[in-house]
Amino acid sequence: MKFSLVPAVFAIIISLAGSNKAINLHDESDAKSGEKIERSTPVTSQPSITLCVMSGQLTVHGWDKNEVRVRSTDAAQIEFRRVDKSKDPSTPPARVDVMVFDKMRSKGDCQALADVEMEVPLGATVQVQTRDGDIYIMGVAGAYAGSQNGDIVIERAGKFVEAGSVGGSISLKDSTGRVNLSSAGGGVEVFNVQPLGADDTFEVGTVSGDIQLDRVTNTKVIAKTVNGNVTMSGALSRSGYYGFTTMGGDVVLVMPHDVSFTLNARVSDKSDIISDFALKYMPEPPATPTPKTPMEVPRTPSPKTPQPPKTGPIIAPMVVIKPVIVNPFRRFTATYGSGDATISLSSFGGTLRLKKI
Amino acid sequence: MRQCLDEGMLQSYFDGELSSSLMESATSHLASCATCSAAARELEEENALLSEAFALELSEPVPTDRLRRRIDAAVSGIQVVRPVAQQPTSISGFFSSLSSLFTLAPQRTLGYAALMMLLVFGVIFGLVKLRGNAPAPETAEVTQPAKPVNQEVASVQPKAIETPVPVGTVVRTVKPQRRPVVTTPVANNSAAAAAAPVKLLPGERAYLQTIAKLDTTIQEGKKDMRPALQVEYERNLAVVDRAIAATRNAAKKNPGDPDAADFMFAAYQSKVDLLNTIADARVYNRSH
Repeated sequence: MKFSLVPAVFAIIISLAGSNKAINLHDESDAKSGEKIERSTPVTSQPSITLCVMSGQLTVHGWDKNEVRVRSTDAAQIEFRRVDKSKDPSTPPARVDVMVFDKMRSKGDCQALADVEMEVPLGATVQVQTRDGDIYIMGVAGAYAGSQNGDIVIERAGKFVEAGSVGGSISLKDSTGRVNLSSAGGGVEVFNVQPLGADDTFEVGTVSGDIQLDRVTNTKVIAKTVNGNVTMSGALSRSGYYGFTTMGGDVVLVMPHDVSFTLNARVSDKSDIISDFALKYMPEPPATPTPKTPMEVPRTPSPKTPQPPKTGPIIAPMVVIKPVIVNPFRRFTATYGSGDATISLSSFGGTLRLKKI
Repeated sequence: MRQCLDEGMLQSYFDGELSSSLMESATSHLASCATCSAAARELEEENALLSEAFALELSEPVPTDRLRRRIDAAVSGIQVVRPVAQQPTSISGFFSSLSSLFTLAPQRTLGYAALMMLLVFGVIFGLVKLRGNAPAPETAEVTQPAKPVNQEVASVQPKAIETPVPVGTVVRTVKPQRRPVVTTPVANNSAAAAAAPVKLLPGERAYLQTIAKLDTTIQEGKKDMRPALQVEYERNLAVVDRAIAATRNAAKKNPGDPDAADFMFAAYQSKVDLLNTIADARVYNRSH
């Protein structure tokens, strides 16, 4: 009996020891994966910071310190590379590349698979890029953001925003300055954007994504889409220019009753214009053909000089305007109020709806 | 149409065998894809070369004179026999015609066997239908399609014999003769029209060149493209291509309307913008 018990006891002890070791290893690996790396460096008050990873969520916050702090739970190493021309090590850098290395020891050049959080000075311009991941940027002066398939959310940008995504959506809130947003398949939502200067344009373009603009008061607003719908709500800037180009999507403008605008429309017979406003309508003479050449960069349409006709038949509200069609395309100009802002619409197949708030 | 046209599709395009929607998308694609338009030109030249090479053979009537004489002789022989069979003058003639039905010539044996098989199948089919409580009109419906088929066969055969040059239906069944047929004006009028070079609208060429250049750049690195990006690219490319096709049709229908052309150019510009975006993303994929 004794002889039979001894091996059994040994076996139990050995098995317990083995299992204990396995648990310890598991705990150790968990601790490693949960370990947060944090690095910081002093910078100028208005630095330019770049951050690029292959995959992962990137979060950038502005803070009231002349310092950049980067944290990541997935990265193995974080480095700062000074790229400005100043050779004096005593002065803080004005341009810094943040290099993130993941646990696979990949190169820091946009190869890491890691979620990264970063704090930067409020006056910083950040250039943030990820291939598969979302981007959040809050409280910086300028933001360049690019993601192939992730969503981009930007809030409280002070001077300018340029963001592009192929498949993801873009959201911009409470920002000022120049804005350029583009997405192929994702939607674009913008809320409360104001210009800093008169030259601050607002441009947005999609292929199939919808565009929603709310309280955008830049003096020049351009929205282009191939098949998405465009909705803009809020007051128009006095003498502002609003250009909408769509191939198949609808354009809906929701404006207060005291708005004043001139509508220059170029639509096909497939397009309807439905207006809550009593427009003074006058057809324009046909335009002369203008051969065009392609450009490899998105071009901005030159605003046409408005020709507000002050006379013409008054069209009652809520009327679908369908003038007699001589050819499938027609141009016309219509005004409401004193015709201050200019709305330029090119629609191949969509409907323009002018709604009162 | 997003993907390049394969050889079969191109050949069908030239032969005028595509449906109207496919034809439209193929035309649109050829207008925008330099690779495919080059392939189309090659195929066109190849067709011309083949038709020249086979010109002598094609000029000969099919079936050949010798075969036609034999067929004519056979047909005339049948025509001589038929009046006797169709107009029995007496009872004996009637019985003799009945008895001639039961003489088992090899051709008749096959015919009777086929008839028997048809009857057996008909009985089986009828039994199955009866078991399933099928209404009587359905069986009538089944038998109806048989008539036009027989009529078609009867109508096609004399034509093939009467006309020295085969009609298009006969040629289509013979695959090797398909390419030379492109040059025959009778069989493929639509193919000849399709083979004509695609007429570009004024100002369109510059866009097409830019698009072709960008498309080549993207195609070169397509294997490096992430599947998610590729899906998004192709989805949006289809949207833009549809817009181009629609606006281009409108511009072609209204050649004097600058607005129609402007919409087309805007659609082309959208494609240029999209391709630029994707080319940038592709570079990003590769370089990092």
